[in-house]
Amino acid sequence: MTPPIISIEKISKRFGGTRALHEVSFDVLPGELHAICGENGAGKSTLMKILSGVITDYEGELRIDGQAARFSGTRDAESVGISIIHQELNLVEQLSIAANIFLGRELRWGGVFCDDRAMELAAKELLKSLDCDIPPSRLAGSLRVGDQQLIEIAKALSLNSRILVMDEPTSALTEAEVERLYRVIAKLRSKGTTILYISHKMDEVFHLSDRITVLRDGQFIATRNTKETNAAEVTKLMVGRDIESLDLGPRSARGEKVLEVRNLSLEWPGHARGYRLKDVSLELYRGEVLGIAGLMGAGRTELLECLFGASSLPPTGEIILDGVPIMPRHPSQAKRAGLALVTEDRKRLGVFNSMNVGQNISMCSLREAAAGPLLSSSRERGLSDSMVSKLRIKTAGLTPPIGSLSGGNQQKCIVGRWLLTHPKVLLLDDPTRGVDVGAKAELYRVIRSLCSEGLGVIVTSSELPELLTLSDRIMVLSEGRKTAEFDIRDATQEKIMEAATRSWQTSK
Amino acid sequence: MNNDSPGLLGRLWSSVEFKLILSWLLVVIATMLLDSNHTYWNASADSAQIVLRQTVLLGFFALGSAIIIISGGIDLSSGSVIAMSATVFGSLMIVLDPEGFKAGHVSTTAVILSIAGTLMAGAMVGTLHAWLITSVGLPPFVATLATLVGLRSFSRGLTPTVASGKSQIDFPDDNLRNALKDVTTITIVFIVFALALWFLMSRTVTGRHLQAMGGNEQASKLSGIRTDRLKWLAYVIGAVSASIVGIIFFADQGSAKPDIMARGYELNAIAASVIGGCSLQGGIGTIPGTILGCLFLRTIIDAVQKIVGAGADVFEGMIVGIVVVVAVTFSQRSGGRLIGKRYFSDEIGWSVIPTLGLLSGLAYLLFFGKREWYAPYQAILVGLVVVGALAVRAVLESRTNSSNRV
Repeated sequence: MTPPIISIEKISKRFGGTRALHEVSFDVLPGELHAICGENGAGKSTLMKILSGVITDYEGELRIDGQAARFSGTRDAESVGISIIHQELNLVEQLSIAANIFLGRELRWGGVFCDDRAMELAAKELLKSLDCDIPPSRLAGSLRVGDQQLIEIAKALSLNSRILVMDEPTSALTEAEVERLYRVIAKLRSKGTTILYISHKMDEVFHLSDRITVLRDGQFIATRNTKETNAAEVTKLMVGRDIESLDLGPRSARGEKVLEVRNLSLEWPGHARGYRLKDVSLELYRGEVLGIAGLMGAGRTELLECLFGASSLPPTGEIILDGVPIMPRHPSQAKRAGLALVTEDRKRLGVFNSMNVGQNISMCSLREAAAGPLLSSSRERGLSDSMVSKLRIKTAGLTPPIGSLSGGNQQKCIVGRWLLTHPKVLLLDDPTRGVDVGAKAELYRVIRSLCSEGLGVIVTSSELPELLTLSDRIMVLSEGRKTAEFDIRDATQEKIMEAATRSWQTSK
Repeated sequence: MNNDSPGLLGRLWSSVEFKLILSWLLVVIATMLLDSNHTYWNASADSAQIVLRQTVLLGFFALGSAIIIISGGIDLSSGSVIAMSATVFGSLMIVLDPEGFKAGHVSTTAVILSIAGTLMAGAMVGTLHAWLITSVGLPPFVATLATLVGLRSFSRGLTPTVASGKSQIDFPDDNLRNALKDVTTITIVFIVFALALWFLMSRTVTGRHLQAMGGNEQASKLSGIRTDRLKWLAYVIGAVSASIVGIIFFADQGSAKPDIMARGYELNAIAASVIGGCSLQGGIGTIPGTILGCLFLRTIIDAVQKIVGAGADVFEGMIVGIVVVVAVTFSQRSGGRLIGKRYFSDEIGWSVIPTLGLLSGLAYLLFFGKREWYAPYQAILVGLVVVGALAVRAVLESRTNSSNRV
């Protein structure tokens, strides 16, 4: 048997309190295309960042060609022949293709001058080897995403990379571009390049790979030979996570219909797919939790933003709240209509860091806390206090800065902020992200008790067990389309994952 | 209020306002001791009046600037808006009461209408800013940079057309002039203005929203706050406050010369806000802090004038520059401690040491060069001592901190 080119041995990595990787070990053989699969947050990207020298502090050992390696930066990784093509491309759009390929290691003459001609010639050769005849003097920003990706691959080639890591390379490509990428991959492989390929698209993985490794919750689950397995088994390995049994009390009875969405679509100009959302319809009843499942980029956040009037482009379709058609174009209109949105990115879109706990909670209901134009601090305190006790927010009063609270309690503050606006429908976008386990259970209970008060709740989550615990119904998005809807009694992780990885073309 | 909080004294101690009051007292005491004429002691009422006038004049538009900064923007145009407002005020009086203007007695109606018109012009400038920023989508820096250059030029063009070819408008009415520049009057107007803004920022829903928008604009919008309207309000307050100063300044100076009037003042306003604790990132800052920032800045300028002697307006820029750097360095969150921070031990740090030494020597020469006890070796010595001290500091830094290199 050939010795492995990469040995990953017991690699662990923590980000603060969360465990991103836990004692992951597996081997990659020279010349193979090794696919890495896993749900959102399984640790795929973290592992690849360690491998390519982006993350440098971790536990465990990495062996390249049997030699222990510890990279102190991407340069180190490049010097042993590892390059990574990130999902988010890293090109300087204002520079030419050639300048991008040689960024940081420009060819020079006389020690200080850029040798543009030599770089352009070299770039042309590299691109030619990838069947690409774009002139290398063009600006990187003027290229389509698929071509930009080729530039990144050319850059990797110019580094004489033996090992290429590709992080979801097809997520923004048209079908023709995917075909071309496949050809490039075949070409690279014929030269003996080892490729680590991260993807959650089953058809791609089975089309390309020799072996498949599945990660789940930062742990190694299994490596399978592609020929000896099938999509169903891999999906099962990806989701085989145990559901913590949590007793959240009885589900509340479903009331009358509070929200109906018909054929909601949102354009995506400049993207191969052309839309972020296409013909999404849903219904929500009082006292009910509707879960929205979907992988990264499926359109969960975009759907909630459209409902809340926060999308950058106006969506098309119909939104009917309590029998009244609404189409909010600004969050203030959605708020007045009775919608509330707790955003996904709490740090960036949720909290006001320069303000204290009380001010963060009262932010959306200050008109209620005011007598005429003047704020009444006692009324404001009353409002904020009511939420601190209702949601059992752990804080030393209302005056500490919001940043001093734990993630879970900050999230409760934001939920409280919106409850003070007396919404009819509460939209929660991945509400437990960055929240520890105990606080998650707390949040689940809060959501359940809000339902019993007659609120309709829509929850998105990247964690299937969470949706299965919390929801009454689950709808699945994939690539901007609704691919399935399950009653909670019929829903299983396998079924949901199958619907979430189904691409629209194959389900036609 | 929250008297139950155990850290009340600590909070007071760590507040920008308290630090500013302390520093201000230090400057006043130092001036009393160092000023060879003992002006603060012998003529305290006159000195106070001078500083008060300067503080109030700066205060008006610094408060406007502060509100814009707190709400997450920046206004570079206030100096030009001041010049424009003075010109517009003069022009309106000429147009509304040409006879009175020549005779030196402008009718009360014309004066009131002219003041109203000038403030309206300020509001229009603010609206223009808000439109450029929210609808056209320009960064505030660019939008107000355009009016910074544009409005001054506009005023220069306007002046000769109303003032029969002259490049300045002279203040027509001495009684009116004395009334408008009277220190008591403008102080009272300022107090009313400052109280109103303080009320707005600390006690009203709108003020809270402005602060929230400065702290996190995206989150504010997603909280259902109409951020565009708030920006309009902030920029209108900013421009109108500069217009008020334009009117007073016209009276104070006795003439409106749009080419030089209030040039560079916008930076003083921004400096005063920053010294007063406003963060240029937005979201942080108070009205009282900004007023104290103005007071501190004007006092230190006045103090240098008293200590050094004449010509302090020459040094004004240097003083503002130094005070801003020092104030912001100390108020940065990581700061407050000068120990354990690396200032001079890397390549850039080493290269700046000769610059600082040269600056110190030159400053010494400029400040004390005319004293009878001055000799050239002193300036050279000061420069060398500074270079030596910084070099020692650099060596110490690289010894103690070489282990925590990132």
